[in-house]
Amino acid sequence: MRAFHLAWLSLFSCYFSTFSIPPLLAVLRQDLNLSASDIGHAGTAAFAGSVFSRFAMGPACDLLGPRLASSALSLLTVPVVLSTAFISSAQSFVLLRFLIGFSLANFVASQFWMSSMFSGSVVGRANGVAAGWANVGAGLAQLVMPMIFSLIMSVGVSSSYAWRLAFVVPAIFQAVTALMVLAYGQDLPDGNYWSHNHPRKASSKPRENVFGVLLHGLKNYRGWILGLTYGYCFGVELTIDNIIAQYFYDRFNVDIRMAGAIAASFGLGNLVSRPLGGVLSDEMGQRFGMRGRLWSLWAVQTVAGLLCVLLGRVDSLWGSAVVMCCFSFFVQAASGLTFGVVPFISKRSLGVISGMTGSGGAVGAVVAQLLLFSGSNKFSTQTGISLMGLLMIVCTIPVGFIYFPKWGGMFCGPSKEPSSMDQDDYSLLE
Amino acid sequence: MAAHGEPLWSPSSTKAGEVLKAGQDQLTVTWSYNQTFPAGTDSAYKTVKVKLCYAPVSQVDRAWRKTVDNLDKDKTCQFKVVAKPYGPSNNSFTWTVEKDIPTATYFVRAYAYNSNGDEAAFGQTTDAHKTTNLFEIQAITGRHMSLDIASVCFSAFSIVSLFGFFYMEKRKGKLAQQK
Repeated sequence: MRAFHLAWLSLFSCYFSTFSIPPLLAVLRQDLNLSASDIGHAGTAAFAGSVFSRFAMGPACDLLGPRLASSALSLLTVPVVLSTAFISSAQSFVLLRFLIGFSLANFVASQFWMSSMFSGSVVGRANGVAAGWANVGAGLAQLVMPMIFSLIMSVGVSSSYAWRLAFVVPAIFQAVTALMVLAYGQDLPDGNYWSHNHPRKASSKPRENVFGVLLHGLKNYRGWILGLTYGYCFGVELTIDNIIAQYFYDRFNVDIRMAGAIAASFGLGNLVSRPLGGVLSDEMGQRFGMRGRLWSLWAVQTVAGLLCVLLGRVDSLWGSAVVMCCFSFFVQAASGLTFGVVPFISKRSLGVISGMTGSGGAVGAVVAQLLLFSGSNKFSTQTGISLMGLLMIVCTIPVGFIYFPKWGGMFCGPSKEPSSMDQDDYSLLE
Repeated sequence: MAAHGEPLWSPSSTKAGEVLKAGQDQLTVTWSYNQTFPAGTDSAYKTVKVKLCYAPVSQVDRAWRKTVDNLDKDKTCQFKVVAKPYGPSNNSFTWTVEKDIPTATYFVRAYAYNSNGDEAAFGQTTDAHKTTNLFEIQAITGRHMSLDIASVCFSAFSIVSLFGFFYMEKRKGKLAQQK
């Protein structure tokens, strides 16, 4: 359990750091003379870095163990967060967000760590709760950063100094959690990788070729489909985290702390919604098998898409806030439901599939930001939000194409003779 | 609020075409009633508000500074210079540029209000296309030496502690293997 708390807390701090910038954009854009395009590019950059870092984190965990890999990444990104004190141009702002975004790879490390420490029957819940509680970091940052900023200003400091100083808080938090992971965490129930001479590899079947495992995962079409759908639930969640505070600030003329509070309620829903998504997936899996898991994923994500379309069209402040809360519940549950299906795709290449899905989330966020919220668009933010909802609905349809010979798919039952080729892929989590 | 009408004022500011430093330099604005308009048009004016407004070059790609006809939603002029009771001539005010004005290109606009608080007329220091007589303001940078040093020190601590732990892990591993 100590590993569980260390894992979600350190990932929480990474999300907190990455999303500590959006709530203060209204101040930053004046000080750094940012244009809407600059802000859009920076938002895209925040996720672009994580596409690669999430993919690379899988092998890094294999090599070093999740404890060292995740704390190394956290400690290496602390200087980046601190360098917020130095930036004074749009280019350095974009670079800053790009580099901080690397820390989001710790998601893969935390899921890997949970899978190593928890038994098969509860790993789904462990993953769901760890990821959900960590995502709350994005929401809490939206609430807390404006408060820290106002607190520093109330002492008499100018606004342009106050925001620079405010970023010391996420930096210290990230460093502390990383050091705690190093001091108190362990990779496996019986110890650490390095002190036990890689027992995980020694005790398993003959050492798999890393490339073989990688290729095996990449060839599995289900991993690609889930990467796409995760891109349009989790990716949308990341995009909303980036734009929502500014949206409420600009469209409804609320002050920076109120905008932060409203934006925070989006991310805070993760406390229950993502874990509930995982629980729903497990319940549907028990009653209806894989078909239940896939149908519930499709249904929840489609409802989330519809609510997103609605969010862009609501004209009142409180109407928007209410729709946003409902939307947050469904989109985060969809993320939890996605990782209720991921463990079943391949046992041999679980790390690769998780990495593909996780990267897909970041890619979805990058594409959504570039297409819809880059500042140089001809349409307004609210239209962009509605279009994103439509995109979500369309990109959830491929879930219907997922088919497991052993368990069936959304529209077809399991095949009568089990396919001999895929035999060892599905020997998992019975 | 209706769209802007004909300018009935002729404000002017010193320092057109110059760069002013926030918190330090001063701006002097003078304004008077435009005598070419019929006498008595200005009998409704009660107060004057002088504002600092973004020039179009600073509004490009920045929707939070957009000019819209509806004055309630217009975001062109976000900083108040001074508010004074109306007088037809000999009005001037010297303003020290406030510390929190951001870096951008500006012009000055003076609004006249009637007793209901509605905008009745306006005038600006630039032409109708907002291209002449603009001036720049340079904001105060938020960077401080003390924060820079603290950031560098803490970053160094972060990296050193990481490598420290790595080294300790390796040593523990070697010791465990030797046993």
